Amino acid sequence: MKKTAFKFFAAALAIAMLCALSACGSTVPVIGINQYGEHASLDNCREGFLQGLADAGLVEGEDYSIDYQNAGFDDTIAGQIASNFSANNVAIMCAIATPSATACFAAAEDKDIPVIFTAITDPVEANLDEGNVTGTSDKLPVEAQLDLIRKLQPEAKTIGIIYTTSEPNSVSAIAEYKEKAGDYGFTIESVGVSAQSEVTLAADTLISKGVDCFSNLTDNNVVGVLSSILEKTNEAGIPVYGSEVEQVKLGCVASAGIDYYELGRQTGAMAALVLSGKATCEELPFETISEYGYYINSSALSEMGITLTGDVAKSAVEAK
Amino acid sequence: MSTFLDLMVGTLTQGLIYALLGYGVYITYKILDFPDLTVDGSFPLGAAVTAVLLVNGVNPYLTLLAALVSGALAGLVTGLIHVRVKVRDLLAGIITMTALFSINLQIAGSNLTVERGVDTIFTAGPTMALLGGVPLIYRKLLVSAIIVVAFKLLLDIYFKTKNGLMLRAVGDNATLVTALATDKGKIKITGLVISNALVALSGCIVCHEQRSFSATMGTGQVVFGLATVIIGTTIFKKVGFVKGTTAVIVGSVIYKTCIQIAISLGLPANLLKLITAVLFLVILALGNIQKGGVKKNA
Repeated sequence: MKKTAFKFFAAALAIAMLCALSACGSTVPVIGINQYGEHASLDNCREGFLQGLADAGLVEGEDYSIDYQNAGFDDTIAGQIASNFSANNVAIMCAIATPSATACFAAAEDKDIPVIFTAITDPVEANLDEGNVTGTSDKLPVEAQLDLIRKLQPEAKTIGIIYTTSEPNSVSAIAEYKEKAGDYGFTIESVGVSAQSEVTLAADTLISKGVDCFSNLTDNNVVGVLSSILEKTNEAGIPVYGSEVEQVKLGCVASAGIDYYELGRQTGAMAALVLSGKATCEELPFETISEYGYYINSSALSEMGITLTGDVAKSAVEAK
Repeated sequence: MSTFLDLMVGTLTQGLIYALLGYGVYITYKILDFPDLTVDGSFPLGAAVTAVLLVNGVNPYLTLLAALVSGALAGLVTGLIHVRVKVRDLLAGIITMTALFSINLQIAGSNLTVERGVDTIFTAGPTMALLGGVPLIYRKLLVSAIIVVAFKLLLDIYFKTKNGLMLRAVGDNATLVTALATDKGKIKITGLVISNALVALSGCIVCHEQRSFSATMGTGQVVFGLATVIIGTTIFKKVGFVKGTTAVIVGSVIYKTCIQIAISLGLPANLLKLITAVLFLVILALGNIQKGGVKKNA
């Protein structure tokens, strides 16, 4: 019977092999997408990326094919997906979020495959600014956000922020918030957590400290339980500001933030240049989005009794 | 065909590197009968120490030693908490694991990546002198294989020494150890020290291979270790002459192959874990049917 076990195993391996071979049998270059996990912002990045390729006139199935893999927020799996791409000789690796990008860049070393990343806050810190690698950064527009909060809540003094201590993006964003809050007359009350289960406890802590509002980062852990935070803050009558459009859709009052779909599209355009040989990664420095939009949720705003004034009222876009 | 070969080489390398972690879990879970959760903390500990040393230009081979020592200390702490403070085994591991989450971040600052310019054990001078003509992915396989086989042999020898036999006795029959006038607490601590040293070494090599440390890389490693040990020992249940360490290597390679198959099948991403789970179940079920079948024949 042990032989049966091995037979089964060999059969499964053969199937996998066939899949791998059929993938490399076609002459169309493959773009391997390594997405760290499934949530709205990262999904938007991917959809924007595909749109960016299409905008450049490339047709899926003729000019390229996509091998999309999702690591389910597991670093080990992200690594294995990356080495899988390398073994399959993909033309380009597209990495969405930092852990996937570092995994891809390490795996690409063997064959010097170009890596295009997106949704990374600090490519320099992650050593993704040199070599056959480029992409787009989703660095938060902290000053624009502080400015927005000041305009919507002229009386507010303290901003509460929850962040995950193990997410480097969040740690650097908190530092920037603390540095710049004074310029806008705010103080920052932050609580660091190490796991998703602690987020709602942290929300309780901030509410009990009497903060005037919450502001979110692009912290995967915190954003994952945003709905339960909103439940608590709505009860306490404290407005929450999001860091991007998806959070405003969920019920945050407003955000000066990134549209991840646009970010992905910008990334797709870069990938198209590399794929068609018009440029190399070395020739394309990583890009940051310079224009930020105001996104608002009218029903959440009226619930909090906030009225829009001045330029915010003019330029804000309803998130839907 | 080279694609498939590359795929096999990559998977085999992963399996070998993680087999070191498997050795560690084999010692605590299978030999000592101690469910040690320190693993989820000592694995990233090895990687954190390695990443910091590599970034600061320390000789890459020395990081192997540093990781072993750091892991040994983690095991020592769990051992002391359990034996001296008399905290239950499961909780002792949880305490150390929880503390290590903060300690790892403290050591590394935050998640760390090692630049391509920095040499790892796969690219440094002595490795190149020995295997310079070999492409990097094969070099990774060979270097990992050398380390894994070396530690397998060391462990096999150790298990035959008096100390090693005592380790096995504590798990099987603790009363006997006390009757032999040996302190079973000390032996448990020894086991935990060796186990976590190996786990941290595994984290160290993963850091060399992936050029990065992340605070969350330890999550789920103890589950992986247990699955590896159980798959390995189930398959070789009826084969007496196969050593436990060999079974662990096979188990680890099978585990990584299962994930590789799930990835290669190109199914919807969310089904990845489900497919992996089904593959495990099939392997374990076949192992157990085999047992039933033998009985019927007998």
